[in-house]
Amino acid sequence: MHAVCDTPQVSEHSGVQDGHAPGGAESVVLRARGLTKQYRRVRAVDGVDLTVGVGERVALLGPNGAGKTTTLLMLLGVVTPDDGFVEIAGHRLPRERSRAAERVGFAAGYLPLPERLRVREFLHMFGRLYGIADPEPQITLGLERFGVTHLATAMGNELSSGQRTLIGIIKATLHRPRLLILDEPTASLDPDVALRVRTGLAELCAADHTALLVTSHDMVEVSRLCERVVFISSGRVVADGTPDAVAASFGRDDLEGVFLHLAEERERVT
Amino acid sequence: MITKTRWLRVSAVARRHAYVLQRAPQRWFDVVFWPVVDALLFGSLGVYFSRQSSAGAAGVAYLLAGILLFHVVFQAEISLSTGFMEETWSRNLLNLLVTPLTEVEYVAGVVLFGLVKLALGVGTVALAAWALFAFDVTTLGLALVPLVAILLVVGWSVGLIVISLILRVGQGAEILAWGLLAMVMPLSGIFYPVSALPGAIQPISRALPTTHVFAAAHEVVAGHSLPWSQVGWGAFGAVVLAIASTFLLVHMLAVFRRRGYISRHT
Repeated sequence: MHAVCDTPQVSEHSGVQDGHAPGGAESVVLRARGLTKQYRRVRAVDGVDLTVGVGERVALLGPNGAGKTTTLLMLLGVVTPDDGFVEIAGHRLPRERSRAAERVGFAAGYLPLPERLRVREFLHMFGRLYGIADPEPQITLGLERFGVTHLATAMGNELSSGQRTLIGIIKATLHRPRLLILDEPTASLDPDVALRVRTGLAELCAADHTALLVTSHDMVEVSRLCERVVFISSGRVVADGTPDAVAASFGRDDLEGVFLHLAEERERVT
Repeated sequence: MITKTRWLRVSAVARRHAYVLQRAPQRWFDVVFWPVVDALLFGSLGVYFSRQSSAGAAGVAYLLAGILLFHVVFQAEISLSTGFMEETWSRNLLNLLVTPLTEVEYVAGVVLFGLVKLALGVGTVALAAWALFAFDVTTLGLALVPLVAILLVVGWSVGLIVISLILRVGQGAEILAWGLLAMVMPLSGIFYPVSALPGAIQPISRALPTTHVFAAAHEVVAGHSLPWSQVGWGAFGAVVLAIASTFLLVHMLAVFRRRGYISRHT
């Protein structure tokens, strides 16, 4: 079991157990224990444990204000936890943040592209930041994979939000990371673009055996893309397992039912 | 020793800022427009006052040497602080913070391209001073080397202080990119000796490394040899400032990460 929980838990998910997966430590790409974050009087994250295995596709779900983004930012080393630790591909944060970051890609649907860069220049810059001496082949592959080769010479501020998201994901995958973290990647996307994102991500994860940790409010998308879901509510992990098993453990038909249940519960408490 | 991967990251940051300068016309104000305006303004003042007194050409050189060296501090500081502000304006900070890029590599990249801007800005002042007032900066000779080196360190240190305050306070601190140097300028004896300042302010002025550098420069302009004691005090002050600003940045980064201030920039 991955989570410190006080509500129904589910055991049928990936084979990775407590950071010690079958086959040894190298089968775990992300291990976080006891993550806690307090902002003034608000406890944003309260003892979150999370493990992601190599090539595993995991969704981090929860209502607004549940602590998802704060958790992601702690996993990425951008926010320092008050308590607990994060280890990525065997590199402990914050001491080995740079080494860990070489193995992680991150994109968020809400992040714009810098205004004064063309898409290819932006991707070239980030390819080099990830240590790729000649990122051009990876850039071309990424643009083709997500069907946006025509955007290569566009300026960052000329793109639609959907196009920005696609370029952000390509940026996050140039260095073929072992773990890809996506915060709301398909928010505000048209269904056809969202499908292209899902297809591209599935292809990428299969090709490079990249693990995926994604937050989303689209439960249908999550069911299609992820093999495991972790629900957070009020900063705590409250469920962890396959989508079907998590829904069943709450007595609901699907993940949307679980989501609505947790949102209502949160509203009652607050 | 810098590794190939580190160099890739440093050069990527430098190249990003080269694109910004290339595509943001307003950035050329800092490297071309203000240098020409300053050279014209202080050169003309020098000419006017030299006609009113016995100062002659030395008076013009006094002011032009001052403004030229001030542009070393200004360009070094402004390239570093506006380089960082460019990331906050374009909401690119989170994108950078999740890469392997370290703080030292980031600063090195901005400073590297800042040297290009500095060469452009100071070169423009020198060229304008020569073309408009026949002031040849090379007459200062090798004395320029230690003086410019100290002023570079001061400029970068002030840039680090500005970045630290933006990390801590947010975009409200951006005005300090220009404001801090505006405070330093009258206190440093750039266009007049420190003795011309009100008595109560003179001790503050003498505590600034820039004051000693400009005092040394004025000695050279007057035809004397470089006063190494002034250079020594200037260098000492610059090193103290560099250490203090580095510690401030490290501390503010820790606060930034601990309090989750990245949410201000996403």
